[in-house]
Amino acid sequence: MKLLICFIMLVASSSPVWSAETKSPETADVWLARLSQSLQSLNFSTSFVVVKNNHAEPYHWFHGVNDENVELEILSLLNGPRRDILRKNNTISYIEPELPPYSVLSSNLRGPIPTILSGAVQDLASTYNFISVGKSRILGRSAQIVRIVPKDTSKYGHWLWLDEKTGLLLKLAIVTRKGQQLEQVQFTHLDITENPAESLNQLQSTELPKVVDIPQGYQQQKLSWEVNWLPQGFEKINANRHRISSTKQPVEFILFGDGLVEVSVYVTQSKEQTRPVDFVMDGATVALNQVNNGIEVSVVGKIPSTTAKKIADSVTLLSRP
Amino acid sequence: MSESKFETVSSLVDNYQASDDVFDELVKDNDMSETWQRYHLIGDTLRDELPNSLNLDLSASIANAIAEEPTVLAPVVKATISQTIKAKVVQFSKPFGQVAIAASAAGLMVIGVQQNVADNDSLVPNPIVQTIPFGGVAEPVSLNYQQNSRASQQQAMVEQQRRFQALLQDHKQQLKFTALTHKESSVEKVKTEVTNTPK
Repeated sequence: MKLLICFIMLVASSSPVWSAETKSPETADVWLARLSQSLQSLNFSTSFVVVKNNHAEPYHWFHGVNDENVELEILSLLNGPRRDILRKNNTISYIEPELPPYSVLSSNLRGPIPTILSGAVQDLASTYNFISVGKSRILGRSAQIVRIVPKDTSKYGHWLWLDEKTGLLLKLAIVTRKGQQLEQVQFTHLDITENPAESLNQLQSTELPKVVDIPQGYQQQKLSWEVNWLPQGFEKINANRHRISSTKQPVEFILFGDGLVEVSVYVTQSKEQTRPVDFVMDGATVALNQVNNGIEVSVVGKIPSTTAKKIADSVTLLSRP
Repeated sequence: MSESKFETVSSLVDNYQASDDVFDELVKDNDMSETWQRYHLIGDTLRDELPNSLNLDLSASIANAIAEEPTVLAPVVKATISQTIKAKVVQFSKPFGQVAIAASAAGLMVIGVQQNVADNDSLVPNPIVQTIPFGGVAEPVSLNYQQNSRASQQQAMVEQQRRFQALLQDHKQQLKFTALTHKESSVEKVKTEVTNTPK
């Protein structure tokens, strides 16, 4: 009897979601596949602004594919000190004020736009619903709105506005469950060309900085603690010991990801015995920090602060650190 | 009772100056006093100065009261003058007195406050040794303890802010390094592509 009631309740609660999901799952899927395809294959030159809290960061973004089928990409921050990301196929170079220029081997550059959008978006289907919500006008073009809504309430949603003509991204917003927009990427200019832009041709002929050598097994280290609770779909993708670059503080670190967002968990010994939980928000990114029994736990990522707190609370030591 | 007598009374009611003899005659003559009273009543009525209740026997009661009073030997007129002057002096001097009291109280307060300040000064450490509080303004000792805790709080806040900044930065940095191992499948793809790319 109890089981039956449970079952009925489950069906009743899940049915609206199910109906919304099946309303137009194909179109949303199709749009996302098209976005991924366009981001990989089109020659475009575009500008966008990341709006978070009370400030805006303007970027310039070039992407192209040359005759040898090599993907070339440049992403530059236009305000403040120079921050450029260069890409030649699977070599990504970061030029930043904090570190000497370096390269890593990867197929996706880490900018304000989630890398999965130009990759296997379908992989998100297990933990997110793709919902097509209609049309709008963005950047003077008619746009298709697709929402990536988490099945799990402890995560944010991503709303995408895609160009109807090309499938390219025109606007992106990270949105709370209540519909509050925490962070926006608004494109301000989009040029799609037959051939790669001139700057990409220059990039092709330049030598990229040395690739950073990451030792085998460095990112799968065994640590003396574990995280016992994570939102749906999160998996461990990196575990290491390192020093935080600006403070030189040694930390034990695990990076978790669900494909769309990543969460960093830091554990270190603190001089203080206890410090109450505190957090800051940088757009959608939360940085939360607390000290219990002389152990400092910090959680950083584009997740709600309540989720970050739950993750921090679930950290348990396996043995003495 | 002649017409001239009534005329005299009428002129007296209208503040016409008359000799003492006329007054004496008027007081002695009952008919004339009544006429005097009546004329005044008429005048009051015309000027709309009638009291709420008319006591027409007022003169009689006054006459009785005067008869019962002891005879005063001292000249009456002078006494009244001195009384009015005295009253006036009292009236003027009273508010002045109040002001004076208020002023003296204020003076006491000023002295008191100055003494207080002096007391505080003696408690404040030597200005040469004293460090300037966080706010940049030296404050009384009693406030200094709070100031200190506030300063340390502010320092803790700055430290926390720096910690968060470092965390956010390191998170971004780690993401860049980790990009490679994001998905097993993509790693495989990357590796094969790397080996395939001629370079």
